[in-house]
Amino acid sequence: MPLPANSRRLWPGALVAFAIAGLIAALLALIWSARGLGTAGPHPPDIAHLLRMTALQAGLTTGLSLVAGIVLAWALNRLRFAGRRTLVALLSASLVTPGIVVAIGVLAVWGRAGWINAGLAPFGLSTGPVFGLGGILYAHLLLDATYAAAVLLPRLDTLPATRLRLGRSLGLAPLRRFALIDWPALRPALPGLAAVIFLLAFTSFPIVLILGGGPANQTLEVAIYAAVRRDFDLGAAVALALVQLAACALLVLPTALFAPAAIATSAGRTAFWPEPRPFAALAIVLLALALFAFGLPLAAVLSALPAIAGLFGQPAFWQATVTSLAVATPSAFVTLVFAYLVASARTAAGSRLLKGLIAAPASAYLAVPGVTLALGFFLLARDLSIPVSTAAPLVLVLANTLLALPFALSILTPGLAALDRRHARTIAGLRLSVARRLWAIEAPALAREIGLVLAMGFCFSLGDLSVIALFGTEDFQTLPWLMNRAMGAYRSNDAAALAALLLLLSVAAFLALPPLAERAARARA
Amino acid sequence: MLVLDQLRFAYRGDPDPFGFSLQSAPGEITAIAGPSGAGKSTLLDLVAGFLQPQSGTVTLDGQDLTPLPPEARPVAILFQAGNLFEHLTAGNNLALALPRKTPDRLASIARALAEVGLTGFAARRADALSGGQQQRVALARTLLLDRPILLLDEPFTALDAETAAAMRALVRTTIVTRRWHALLVSHQEADLTIADRRYVMKNRRLFPAPAA
Repeated sequence: MPLPANSRRLWPGALVAFAIAGLIAALLALIWSARGLGTAGPHPPDIAHLLRMTALQAGLTTGLSLVAGIVLAWALNRLRFAGRRTLVALLSASLVTPGIVVAIGVLAVWGRAGWINAGLAPFGLSTGPVFGLGGILYAHLLLDATYAAAVLLPRLDTLPATRLRLGRSLGLAPLRRFALIDWPALRPALPGLAAVIFLLAFTSFPIVLILGGGPANQTLEVAIYAAVRRDFDLGAAVALALVQLAACALLVLPTALFAPAAIATSAGRTAFWPEPRPFAALAIVLLALALFAFGLPLAAVLSALPAIAGLFGQPAFWQATVTSLAVATPSAFVTLVFAYLVASARTAAGSRLLKGLIAAPASAYLAVPGVTLALGFFLLARDLSIPVSTAAPLVLVLANTLLALPFALSILTPGLAALDRRHARTIAGLRLSVARRLWAIEAPALAREIGLVLAMGFCFSLGDLSVIALFGTEDFQTLPWLMNRAMGAYRSNDAAALAALLLLLSVAAFLALPPLAERAARARA
Repeated sequence: MLVLDQLRFAYRGDPDPFGFSLQSAPGEITAIAGPSGAGKSTLLDLVAGFLQPQSGTVTLDGQDLTPLPPEARPVAILFQAGNLFEHLTAGNNLALALPRKTPDRLASIARALAEVGLTGFAARRADALSGGQQQRVALARTLLLDRPILLLDEPFTALDAETAAAMRALVRTTIVTRRWHALLVSHQEADLTIADRRYVMKNRRLFPAPAA
């Protein structure tokens, strides 16, 4: 039976949640009040086309990602091999892989001068242009199908051993096994997963910016960016942002009905039921295809790493590196603090309504995507006459914390709630303070989750292009912004080297921080 | 004849292996008793194929079953709980025991349900049944599988005394008339009364116990 709400845990998180709600409301009010600016740019936006294109690519991305994610999760579940744990961890890392890195990887493999076309050229063949809807979908699949697989695989890997024994004792054929045992485990996760993927694709920015290939494939996010940075047309940007907000709000309402789709935080020992030989062979083939399609662009990105030495002589590179790390590190800690406070308050809240009220502002990114959020901050800085370069560091930390928060909550909340269910009475009996409870009980028990949240906050900020796209200047540059500028100036070697560095830093943080946090907790225990 | 010939098995990191040897004639029920953790379920898992012995064999009428995976063994199992797919009806759970093109599937299912006293329950979802009803549906399916080795792991625990007695009688009759082999693990003295032979697990070994 749940204990009465613990107000000492409730209030700090509730305050954070309501502060976030206040901030977002203020930004939205600013955008709304700026709607009178009117459209004055050379390219008035075709809002109907933008909405259609945005919804089309998001819908296709969602459908394809779910199918590919299920196939990938199935194949991985049916195979055991050396390196499987690492591969599964890399799947989870897809959530924090910067979109701009993936776009560069796709170009490096499938672009006109990419690996595939270089291989085909001697035979007079080519793959055709990668720019357009196909390129966008492929790049989205690299991120979202792997994310889907990372969410779905644990559902298969943690099927109760008794269920598998039952299936084996009945001699279920592979298709029947999937229908009776796997599908019921996967199905509950699909609506929430589909909603998150649709929203991620609906608000996708760097991939569409780089691989869109022109106005025909533009989406709302890219159009907002173009209105501000290319056309200097704040009125059009505001009009587009309002459309984007309305569309996202409509999408968020049904999304809020579904549970958040959490990725795996650990891979313990799991029961295993091998498939008959033809199906095991099919799993191997599918996994090999996925490795080829998904791994090749990332391998292409990493292969450019040696070229990073060529950037060492550029002061802008060092400035961007220091800025990126200086923004990503506090983002990680602010994300953790906010996520912990909100998750604790949500766990301590007595009623479902209060739980919902506390969690809703933290999921605001769903309704207010990155570029739109940045536009609000941009207008705020302008109204307060704060130079963009002065506001930029704070905005970057805050905006990226908000972007990472829903994912951080989906990682921390289940663990905190489970601890509460198991030990609430014991903790109440010991009369532990909130700080002691965190230090002595929650931090050691949730060390891996805490490491994952830190990694997520760090990586979201490190790879951000949505916010920096509006706030980047000569004086304030981050690695993704530098990369975007290098691409714009056709310095593709520099862009590729920067992409490699970003990928390496993101994956390293994502793979290293959770076990490091776990080790630190064990050493303290 | 079902023969477990000097089966040895140790869990990883456990230096002291379990040892099992027994024989069961067709139409016989062999009961295995012993305290929790003694290795009774390990024995059933070895016969079912969920565990592979370090040495020894399981043979049925001279055929070595030891190298076969669980799905290829002529074994039907009734676990203590969790035997049914909750999202399927009782009838569809039973249908899993029948090949797809079985003639008179519905009649077979209805007959099997009638045997366990659940006439008319075919359309009920498994999760809408009580624990005892679920266990009876599971027993019906286990018998419907028509496999010569029946493994029963605390099969009647969820049933009231009267229903348990009826189900014991059904199992006894089926084993004798079909000349199958049954290995029955149970803590309940009443269950052991249907056994032809009794063994007891002690110090990780199986010893014959005097019939009651």
